[in-house]
Amino acid sequence: MQTEQEHTQVVTFARNIDVALESRLHCLELVDGFGIGRRHIVGRAGASIGRTEPAQIILTDSEVSRNHCRLAIEGGQLMVTDLKSTNGTFVDGVRVEGPTPLPVGAVLRVGRQSLKHEWRTHREIQQSEELDRDLEKANSYVQALLPAMNAEGPIRSDWVYQPCAKLGGDAFGYGVLSDTKFAVYLIDVSGHGAGAAMHSVAVMNLLRQRTFLPNTDLTQPAQVLTTLNSMFPMDINAGMYFTMWYGVYDKITRRLDFASAGHHPAYLVPADRGAAAPLRTRNGMIGTMPETTYRADSAEVPPGASLYLFSDGVFEIVTIDGVQWGLGDFLPALVKPPVEGLSEAKRLLAEVNRIARPGGLDDDFSLVVLTFD
Amino acid sequence: MEMQLSDVGTVRKIVLAGRLDTTGVDHVETKFGAAIVPGGKATVVDLTQVSFLASMGIRMLITTTRALSRKGAKLAIYGAMPGVMEVIETTALSDIIPVAGTESEAIAIVTG
Repeated sequence: MQTEQEHTQVVTFARNIDVALESRLHCLELVDGFGIGRRHIVGRAGASIGRTEPAQIILTDSEVSRNHCRLAIEGGQLMVTDLKSTNGTFVDGVRVEGPTPLPVGAVLRVGRQSLKHEWRTHREIQQSEELDRDLEKANSYVQALLPAMNAEGPIRSDWVYQPCAKLGGDAFGYGVLSDTKFAVYLIDVSGHGAGAAMHSVAVMNLLRQRTFLPNTDLTQPAQVLTTLNSMFPMDINAGMYFTMWYGVYDKITRRLDFASAGHHPAYLVPADRGAAAPLRTRNGMIGTMPETTYRADSAEVPPGASLYLFSDGVFEIVTIDGVQWGLGDFLPALVKPPVEGLSEAKRLLAEVNRIARPGGLDDDFSLVVLTFD
Repeated sequence: MEMQLSDVGTVRKIVLAGRLDTTGVDHVETKFGAAIVPGGKATVVDLTQVSFLASMGIRMLITTTRALSRKGAKLAIYGAMPGVMEVIETTALSDIIPVAGTESEAIAIVTG
């Protein structure tokens, strides 16, 4: 009898947990705007949406009013009321004013932010938060693979790695290949998130191991790209390709041999900051065309010069004024004089953040700066 | 990202408008592929109204071009704005997908 009672109690307890896990919450999930995927939960007390406090759901967007709209739960339905916002509140594209239902699945737009009303169980929310934590761990793994920065020595190094989602598709590395040779590379996998990150990690680990494939001399950039292209065709990698820049510096000859695959140039800036010399060879992106042979080139590195190698997330930003930048818009920032107390990579990150519209950068920001004695 | 579909004689024509970034591609990728690949016809893609081309957009164009070529038909893109043209040149995309200046040049390429 005792056992039966205990058993019944255990079952009831489990059922209570199930009910709690299965009960649903009104969620607003960002489907367009800054910080896609972000979830806001609307409790029984409702919530106000605005650009700053005291709004409960804060959306940093200059087109969102300080008190933009209010959400309330009435009779199990989510209702939205515009609070005389400057740019209006929209439900599925239709401007609304007085209390209007926001059905499950409908999209609420305020400013440039579009939020979809979802009705999720606690369990789903828990699982999605667990996934976020897993992604954080994976990101730490990727960060751990990135090389150490060296403020001293014949080749000084400095970098910034800032993925825009939890996991980025960018990766880079540098290090000595021999007493006289030093290699540096950057790769940018199409897309970001877990798939792209796994791809970039696979390539990074291959290059770190140095064993690579026979018949590939890591001091020869053209060979490295050719081999990687044959190893990573996009058809067997979920349609992912990557762009890459690979260079090898010879300390004796001061020659930098390099090859790029579908990537914009790296820039060599002399010590006097006179100009930024583009270093690039025209080749297809890795994985897009089988059986391609890659072309390399070389440049002489004057004493004190710096090499800037970066992904397109560094310059493909939208400015505060809504202007889409290209590479040419970013170049003037490269040759500006260094700032006391700020590393070059951090200086450029600050510069880009200053000019970009708020809400975070749209793509992974990876930038490596090497300075040669 | 908007998409419009029409036919110019035997050639399928797709007009894309907006930003071909991750969000834009999410909106149109399925429709884009469905409008082009099953029909197996020579196809031209108008980029005159595409303001921005990012890696997901390039991926969409490449995978559709390759799927179509397995059916024996060609795809060409045309009318790219300067910013988009810069991306096309950096990535050497024209080695994979023919790039034309105008619609008639593109049609000539895919029907030739």
